[in-house]
Amino acid sequence: MNSLSPEVALNRISPELRPLLSSVVRNGRVGLDSTNCLRITDLKSGCTSLTPGPCCDRFKLHIPYAGETLKWDIIFNARDPELPPDFIFGEDVEFLPEASELPHLVSWDARDPECLLLLVKELVQQYHQYQCQRLRESSRLLFEYDSLLEDPSYGRGMEIYAGRKNSWTGEFSARFLLKLPVDFSNIPVYLLKDTALDPGEDVALLSVSFEDAEATQVFPKLYLSPSIEHALGGSSALHIPAFPSGGCLIDYVPQVCQLLTSKVQYVIQGYHKRREYIAAFLSHFGMGVVEYDAEGFTKLTLLLMWKEFCFLVHVDLPLYFPCDQPTLTFQSVYHFTSSGQLYSQVQKSYPYSPRWDGNEMAKRAKAYFKSFIPQFQEGAFANGKL
Amino acid sequence: MAASISGYTFSSVCYHSANSNSDHEGFLLGEVRQEESFSISDAQISNTEFLQVVEIHNHEPCAQLFSFYDYAGKVSEVNLNKILKDRRKNVIGWYRFRRNTQQQMSFREQIIHKQLTQILGVPDLVFLLFSFISTANNSTHALEYVLFRPNKRYNQRVSLSIPNLGNTSQQEYKVSSVPNTSLNYAKVIKEQGAEFFDKDGVMKDIRTIFQVYSALQEKVQAVCGEVEQSERVKEKIQDEVNRLKQEIALRKRKSAEEERRLQELEAAETVESSASVLENSDSSVTSRIGFRSATLERMGLERPGTSDMPPLYSDVVGRDSTTVLGSKANVVFLPRPQAVGSPGHPHPLSLPLGDGSSLDSLDRRAAGQEDEEDEDEEEESNDCENLENELSLSPGDVTLPPSQGRPASLRPDGDSHSTPSS
Repeated sequence: MNSLSPEVALNRISPELRPLLSSVVRNGRVGLDSTNCLRITDLKSGCTSLTPGPCCDRFKLHIPYAGETLKWDIIFNARDPELPPDFIFGEDVEFLPEASELPHLVSWDARDPECLLLLVKELVQQYHQYQCQRLRESSRLLFEYDSLLEDPSYGRGMEIYAGRKNSWTGEFSARFLLKLPVDFSNIPVYLLKDTALDPGEDVALLSVSFEDAEATQVFPKLYLSPSIEHALGGSSALHIPAFPSGGCLIDYVPQVCQLLTSKVQYVIQGYHKRREYIAAFLSHFGMGVVEYDAEGFTKLTLLLMWKEFCFLVHVDLPLYFPCDQPTLTFQSVYHFTSSGQLYSQVQKSYPYSPRWDGNEMAKRAKAYFKSFIPQFQEGAFANGKL
Repeated sequence: MAASISGYTFSSVCYHSANSNSDHEGFLLGEVRQEESFSISDAQISNTEFLQVVEIHNHEPCAQLFSFYDYAGKVSEVNLNKILKDRRKNVIGWYRFRRNTQQQMSFREQIIHKQLTQILGVPDLVFLLFSFISTANNSTHALEYVLFRPNKRYNQRVSLSIPNLGNTSQQEYKVSSVPNTSLNYAKVIKEQGAEFFDKDGVMKDIRTIFQVYSALQEKVQAVCGEVEQSERVKEKIQDEVNRLKQEIALRKRKSAEEERRLQELEAAETVESSASVLENSDSSVTSRIGFRSATLERMGLERPGTSDMPPLYSDVVGRDSTTVLGSKANVVFLPRPQAVGSPGHPHPLSLPLGDGSSLDSLDRRAAGQEDEEDEDEEEESNDCENLENELSLSPGDVTLPPSQGRPASLRPDGDSHSTPSS
């Protein structure tokens, strides 16, 4: 199927229906996975072929739900744009929502641009209830669902997809998609804004796939919104534990939540620790500070002199500072290497303790500089050239 | 379930739909009937099949969408009656046309269908979905239609046939069972029908042909009667002929026996006279002559006309046939001609008649006529058998083995063999 950009899709839609679809393709976020917008494909027309365009009034709407993508046909009539649309729910032939519980269908108002989007959200809500009903085919999975539902911190943000039975093995599978109640608001802004796309809401989703009704094959997976993933150091930085054999979601999900929360706390703490470190170095070295990262507090450059010998010290603070030790790079202002770079030496192991506060770290660093510089100077003279 | 739609209804729905610039819907009118077929096979297991046949005769298009239901799909019975009026009882389904969509019932269609089933009281209401599928450049348009039976499990699809749409040169042209409701047609038939139909509504030609048929039937019946009578006369004559033949045979047999007895007597006298000639040769001649004369005289009572000439036919016919029947002991056993396949056992046969009588009577008797014939007649019939063989046999032959001379009956496998004697 051809995925059209929102603008291209809107240009092909009948003008009377354009406002309704505009809110869907531009602002339409339904369900937990709000990072993916609603998409429209397969635009067709219900008018005769001789009708001049644009006159498309029926299309396929892709809705992310519980790790799947629902593909629903929405059918308007361009000649009667005031009438509400009809729906074909794809492969879910048994899904028949209760029309009386769809307020935006009963009181359809074609003049309200949000009407279609709100109607779709109501339908998705009923679809969720329909899937939860299907869980009754497995008592084990129904238990998982009910136990999660009792905890409001998980029950409110949950999507269930009870898949079709495997026609060969007769196995029943299901997927739980949960929004983890982790607070990302204190993550420093600089960590969150460095993404190519508009990240939208910061969210962490835990997907747990049950490949059989007896929960012997369970595969969890953590999905983070791009900004959070970047803030936490990339997808490789965070590994969640495997689902314990015989375990249940009500025990496992809080475990993952805690892990994620700790990580976030660590990142926040690291930020503050870095800021403290930089502040302490500013205080100790005063005019010797050339520059520093005033946003993320990850870098600091000092220009120091010892016995008429001037040198630069670059301090790089890692993401998980103070647990991870900062890297010190000494650089001569006089000497070059054969490749034309300033002669430098990197020091990663020096006296350090993560339990020191910023002030102590600055003092200890100063002492280390004094002890190391003679050695560095000799090396510069020996290996570098003026 | 089987379904059919008349060609003109189908084309009318297509016409309405194709000319509509949006989705289009309406109702299907017709009838539903049950057909029961009972099949019998060699296995003698009877099979009864029930088939529900839906016939769509007409349609009632709706002027616009949402004409009998609201935004939530709730059907209004009042509006429904306004559309259907008095044709409501003929509704067997409804249809919908939508371009470029999947062939699957939509959300609103399912809701409406359930309500229509209840309101109209048709438990097996069908839903016909039309769709035009066009290619991207609008060069090709395909009309697709599917008949659904939504009230059954899995939303069963039913194949819809259109009678006489196809290659009628290879198929039989089917007469539609759709009732003709055209007023114009009825009017024309009424005006012009007198030339072709009689007062009862039957075509005149048919009645004429029927009259010819009836006349022919009468003639055939009459001829049958005549044939029956002539057959009966023929039977009587045949019976008489047979009886006469039997009498002839009896007389001939009796005369043959008398001759033989006479010869025996003569032979005995000759021996005695030879012995007495040695003692008194003169007197023996006279006594011999006398004896012979006495013998002849004695024989004369039993055998009138003692000359060498054969007895007259009239004399033979006049004899009492009952005296002949006692002579069973001298009956000669001859093989009886057998029809192919008939059981073979020998019957006592009389001496050959030599009159060339046919075997027709034999065949009739050999076909197993019942015991309603008395014993006498049966013996008489046996005496007439195998006339051809009797002509070639001498009277004094003894019993022949039944297997000889009997035509071989064929085994079922085609080999011929002589049937064993029973």
